[in-house]
Amino acid sequence: MISRKAIEHLKGAIFLKDLEAQSDHEAISKLLDLLRSHPAVSNFELFAADVFDRQQADPPLFPGGVAFPHARTDGVTALVMAVATCRKPIQFGDISVRLIFLVGVPKRAGGDYLELISFLARQIRRDPAMERLTGAEDMPGFIARFVDPA
Amino acid sequence: MDTNGEIEQKTTLSPLLRRLLRLKFWLVEHVRPSERQSTLIWAALIGALGALSSEAFRKTSDFLLHIATGSSSGIISGFANLTWWQRLIVPTVGGLLAGSTLWFGNRLVAGGKQKTTTDYMEAIVVGSGIISARASIVKSLSALLSISTGTSIGREGPLVQLSSLVASLIGRVRNIPIPQRRHLVACGAAAGIASAYKAPIAASFFVAEIILGTVVVESLGPLIIASVVAAFVTQMLGNSEPLYKSSGFNLHTRWEIIPLSCVGILLGFSAPLYLGFLRSAERLFSKIVLPVPLKLALGGAIVGGLAILNPDVCGNGQGLLRSIFHQYWFWDEVLVIIVLKLLATATAFGSGVVGGVFTPTLVVGAGLGVLYGEGILCLAPQFQSDPAMYGVVGMGAFLAATTGAPLMAILMAFELTLDYSIAPFLMVNCVVAYYCSGIFEKRFMYGESLERKGAAFFNQQLAAVNIRDLVRRDPITLPKNATFAQIAETFVQHRFQHVYIVDKDQKLLGAISLHDVKTFLDRPELESVVIAADIMDEDFPRVSPMHGMTDALHKFSEAHSERLPVVDDMVSKRLIGSISKTDIILHLAGEQSAVGTSRQFS
Repeated sequence: MISRKAIEHLKGAIFLKDLEAQSDHEAISKLLDLLRSHPAVSNFELFAADVFDRQQADPPLFPGGVAFPHARTDGVTALVMAVATCRKPIQFGDISVRLIFLVGVPKRAGGDYLELISFLARQIRRDPAMERLTGAEDMPGFIARFVDPA
Repeated sequence: MDTNGEIEQKTTLSPLLRRLLRLKFWLVEHVRPSERQSTLIWAALIGALGALSSEAFRKTSDFLLHIATGSSSGIISGFANLTWWQRLIVPTVGGLLAGSTLWFGNRLVAGGKQKTTTDYMEAIVVGSGIISARASIVKSLSALLSISTGTSIGREGPLVQLSSLVASLIGRVRNIPIPQRRHLVACGAAAGIASAYKAPIAASFFVAEIILGTVVVESLGPLIIASVVAAFVTQMLGNSEPLYKSSGFNLHTRWEIIPLSCVGILLGFSAPLYLGFLRSAERLFSKIVLPVPLKLALGGAIVGGLAILNPDVCGNGQGLLRSIFHQYWFWDEVLVIIVLKLLATATAFGSGVVGGVFTPTLVVGAGLGVLYGEGILCLAPQFQSDPAMYGVVGMGAFLAATTGAPLMAILMAFELTLDYSIAPFLMVNCVVAYYCSGIFEKRFMYGESLERKGAAFFNQQLAAVNIRDLVRRDPITLPKNATFAQIAETFVQHRFQHVYIVDKDQKLLGAISLHDVKTFLDRPELESVVIAADIMDEDFPRVSPMHGMTDALHKFSEAHSERLPVVDDMVSKRLIGSISKTDIILHLAGEQSAVGTSRQFS
């Protein structure tokens, strides 16, 4: 089932094709930089710190090569997201990651966060063809491949 | 699962376990009882056990009566068949044995380490809901010996004592917080009264109106459940008929409404005299310096002497009441039996026999009502009045006037007779009698009993109870990196609707609500990416022992939760337990009752 709300969040996300980084920390930092000037980011330092704290507590990874660095934080006023594809896999611990969804959610929007993560994870589990997803050129293209793999 | 530190390994659920979880969550939401519903279940159990303990007491009492009098057909006929000297000896020996039981028993109990009460009223209103088992058994044994040998005292006292003890033991075994434990004891008391009189509604209101002093739904609901179950079990074990089933009353002329509505005035003004008479007897006996066994033997001897004149004075008066309602008594016979019954009851009460005066009070009220009815019949024979009808109304009115609980009295008289035609007159006369009695009498029957426990102590106890005393020290916690699967498992294993998230120092970080996460619980894809920290509510209301009860209750309205976490203080936020809304409401209801009662005493 397609979540309209999740699609709306994806449409508003910043897309980065072929992210290159030597480590998970560098990859997350680059994605965070993309969101630095986002109007919904009210306190970038807090947002970044919360993302790394969360990453340290328990890195949210999907076995197919997808990372979900995220944070519930007071550093954002609305849900913000950046999506990156990686031509060359980046090591997040033991998992080689080729698709990264960085998400920041206000503390009171836990439900939105769960709905988004659940939708993303379900879609990826349904169609694990990473090559096709990482071949997307922009956000509309990514959404098209992501939502309708056929 | 390490709830104090970090979780080392993620838990994943097998498909079978996931299906089971889904089923369990459905059950949790739809079937598993909340704390308030659990209280009702406990109340029902206490009702059943209370009725069984009452029945056991009744059977043992009948057996001992058979040994004492050789009769199995009731205490009055048993004594009627005895010779004059046997009528004197049986209650005297019974008193001696009952007194010896109390004397030796109290010496044994005094050796106990824990300071607990034996009085169910004290346990409910001022105590911790803990009733001493040994002392209660001693008192019940003593009452058993007195009642079985004809003493004019009500057996509702020990019946209530025993069922309250059962409730208290359940509360202790289950480690239930003090307000709920006290409330369970109240349920036990209601069950005892309901099984004694087969009057569940009146039993609920007896406890609510007289002991708790409040009829809020939180407290009345479990009382009703306990009473109804007790009455039902009692009916299943014996006669299902009401205790004094009416044969039906009719007004022969509408003018009879006038004298019938005035019964309450006579009975209302008589009640203070009756209460004063009981107090005088108690004072008189207190001046007699004798060991307890001899004092009770003396009381038994006096009752035995009265039984020589008329065996109807023996026992609590249940048989006598039936006779008054179903047979014709001449006015002089009624007058004599009222005087003798008054003397016998005052003697038993004054000498310190363990038991109640509820049924003897009903007898006196009914007798006075019948006398009044006979007077009306004499003055206005055209009314063709039935004195028994005045007896039933008088019974209710006198009960209202002596207990100060008109609502309970109306219900009791109605349930004892199950005659609806008499209900409107009962209502009018109970209220009138209560007000008339109140002009001269400020200390009603059971209020005085509570006063003896000490009104100052009463308020002091309630004021001393704070949130820390109501805290349940076993909060369900998880660390902030607990996986979604672990959160799901925790919700299934425990009935609470919230799980508290703590760090390794037990600092409260937030709470996760079942309601918030239930839609995601059957999504396996979330298991590996979501942890407790992602979904916990960091602003979940919490209370500390520094908060007042009213503040704490206000916090509940913010959380829509039946239970809130308690932290040692709002700075360190170390979780020390959780507190239930029901406990606070019951505590505040008790506090309100205390204020009302202390006003009544003054």
